[in-house]
Amino acid sequence: MTLSCAAGRGLSAVRQALSERRSGLRANDFPGCELDTWIGRVDGVEDIRFDPGLAEYDCRNNRLAMIGLEHDDFTTAAAELVKRHGRERVACVIGTSTAGIGTTEAAYRDLGEAEHFDPAYLLPRVHTPHTSAAFVARVLGLGGPVITISTACSSSAKVFATAARLIDSGLADAAVVGGVDSLCLSVLYGFHSLELVSDQPCRPFDRARRGLSLGEAAGFAIVEKSPRQSLGRLMGWGESSDAHHMASPHPEGAGAGAAMAGALERAGLQPGAIGYINCHGTATPLNDRVEAMAIRSIFPDPPPAASTKGWTGHTLGAAGIAEAVFSLLALNDGELPAGLNLEAPESEWADFILLEPLQRRIDAVLSNSFGFGGSNCALIFGREGA
Amino acid sequence: MKIDIDVLGAGICAPGLPDWEALLDILAGKGLNEDRKPPRSALLSPRERRRAPAAVKLSFAAAEQACAMAELAPADPVAVFSSGMGDLQITDYMCRTLAEQPDLLSPTRFHNSVHNAASGYWSIGSGATGDVTAVSGWKDSAAAGLLEALSRIQYEPTTILLVIYDDVACGPMRDLWPAEYPFGAALVLARPGQRSAMARLEARIDGGEDHHPEMPEVLEARIMDNPAARILPLLGQISGRLPGPVTIGSEQGPGLQFREREK
Repeated sequence: MTLSCAAGRGLSAVRQALSERRSGLRANDFPGCELDTWIGRVDGVEDIRFDPGLAEYDCRNNRLAMIGLEHDDFTTAAAELVKRHGRERVACVIGTSTAGIGTTEAAYRDLGEAEHFDPAYLLPRVHTPHTSAAFVARVLGLGGPVITISTACSSSAKVFATAARLIDSGLADAAVVGGVDSLCLSVLYGFHSLELVSDQPCRPFDRARRGLSLGEAAGFAIVEKSPRQSLGRLMGWGESSDAHHMASPHPEGAGAGAAMAGALERAGLQPGAIGYINCHGTATPLNDRVEAMAIRSIFPDPPPAASTKGWTGHTLGAAGIAEAVFSLLALNDGELPAGLNLEAPESEWADFILLEPLQRRIDAVLSNSFGFGGSNCALIFGREGA
Repeated sequence: MKIDIDVLGAGICAPGLPDWEALLDILAGKGLNEDRKPPRSALLSPRERRRAPAAVKLSFAAAEQACAMAELAPADPVAVFSSGMGDLQITDYMCRTLAEQPDLLSPTRFHNSVHNAASGYWSIGSGATGDVTAVSGWKDSAAAGLLEALSRIQYEPTTILLVIYDDVACGPMRDLWPAEYPFGAALVLARPGQRSAMARLEARIDGGEDHHPEMPEVLEARIMDNPAARILPLLGQISGRLPGPVTIGSEQGPGLQFREREK
C-alpha cells in the first residue's frame, strides 16, 4: 500500500509525520483562491510531467495519482500482481469525488467568446469522473474490471468492498484499489458556501472546532485472496445510507451506526474486538457530534478513537483510502495516533477520543467514512492470523 | 465463470422512449413515441419535481418504472447508479460561476454537484437506508454498472436496482460529450428462482466489444449518440423481442455477454 498526502509523500514520510505529530496543513496558497483557510496541499504536483503517451490524462488529479503510484514500490508490486494473475484478472477500483474538475474549471476560465474550450483543454478522458480509474489502469496495465466509485467522501472506502465482491464472485482474482482527490476551486468555494470550512487548521473533536480543512491525497492498496505477504485482512465492511439530507448527517447518526454494525456483523466480531477507531472526524461541529453518538450507539464501551484529518485535511474522495492506510499502519506498528489540535474534548466523548497517542498492539481496527448524499462506509481490518 | 441472474423489472426514460411500452413498440416495428411523457415521479413532491437536478429526473423516471414492474418498494433494493458524466448541467453552472463570481456559488448546487447526487436523492426520496452507490466508467458506464451489480448478486443473495443514465451536455462541454439525447434505463436484478422473472439470463466475461443482433435504426442511432444507451440491446433481449446473445463491452476491462438461460 502507499499514501501521498500533505503530511508526506510515501509511507515513510507519512509515518514520520505521524510520530512527530507534524501536520501537513498550511495557510491557503492555492492558486486562484483567496479564501482565509488552511489546506492540505501536496507539494510538487505542479512539477509532474507526463510522457506524450499519457498526455490525454494530464490533470491535477492524475498527476497526484502518479505521485502516489511512484512511492513504496507500488508499481513494482502491481506488476508482480499482474504477472501472478494475468492482466485480465486484475481489477482496478478507484474512488474519487473531484476527478479532473480542476481542469474543467480552468477551461471555463480561459473560455473565449465562442463558447468553446481552447483546444488545449479538449481532453475527454480528463473531464469525466472516471478519469483516474482509467488512468491508473492504463499506467499499471490492468485489464480486469475498471470501476470508479464516486460517492463523495465515502468513495475510496467503498472500493475495498467492491474489490472483495469482484474477487469473490470470480470476476477478478485480485484488485488494485485506491482513491485520488485533488484540491480545486469547486471544493474550496463549495464547502465555504456551506459554511463548513474553518479559518484555522481543523481541530477534530475539540470543543473549539470550527469546521474542516480541505486536503488532497492519492493512496493505493492491493486486495488479493491469498497474498504472499499481508498488511492486514479486510474482515468486514458496512455500507449504508442516511435517507435524510444531501449535506447534513442523520441527527442521531443512524446511517453511520448501521455501517459500523454491518461491518462488525460481516466480520463476525463483537464490538469489544475492535482495538482502535479511525474516525471520519471532519471537525465540523455537527459531524463530530453525530459520529460520536453513532459510535456510542454501537460500542457500549468505545475503544480508543481519533481522527487523522489534522495531518491531511479532509481529502474527500481520497479520505477512505488515506484512513484505511492510517488504520493499517496502526495495526502493523502498534502506534495509535491521537488527533492533532485537540486540546479540550467535549464531555460526550472525552472517555474514548484519544488526547495522547497510545502504543498498543491491536488485533482489529475500524475506519469510518461518511459522505454527502448520506453515503456511509465502515471498514474493519484485522491482523492476519489473529 | 458464469453468473445467473433473473430480471424482475425494467424501465427506460429518453426522448421518444418515455417508458417500457414505448420500447416494446419500437422493437415491434413502430416509431418513437413523441407524444407520451415519462410517468411522473411518485417519490418526489411536485415542488421537489420542479427543483430536482436533471440527473435526478432522468434516473428516477427509469428507476421508479423498474421497481413498479418488479412490484418492489423503491426503498428495498440495494441501488447502483452508474453514469459516465454525472450532472452535466450542474458541472456547467459550477465551472461558469467559479470562473466569474466564485463567492456567489450556490451551496445547494454545490452539494448537488457530487456524482452521487441522484443516488443520494434516491435514498432520501425512497427512504432506502441500505447501500445506495454511484459508479462511473465514462463511456463504459453500462458495463461498469453491470459488473458492480453482478458481483453483488453473486456475492450474497440480494436484489439490485441498477440505474444507468447520462444527460446531454450544455455549453462548451458539448464538444467533449456531444450526445443529442439524454438516456436513462433501470433494471431490477436478483439471483435465479426467487420471484417471477421477466427474463432469465446468464452472464459471462467476454472479449470486450459490443455485439448484438441488429435493432431498429432509431435504437442503433441512440447507441451511437449516448454511451448510456449501450444498455439498449440488453433491454431488447430482456423484453424477449431481440434474440441474444448480447455483449456489452469495455475499452479497458472485460465485456459481459448475456444469453437466455436454459429453462
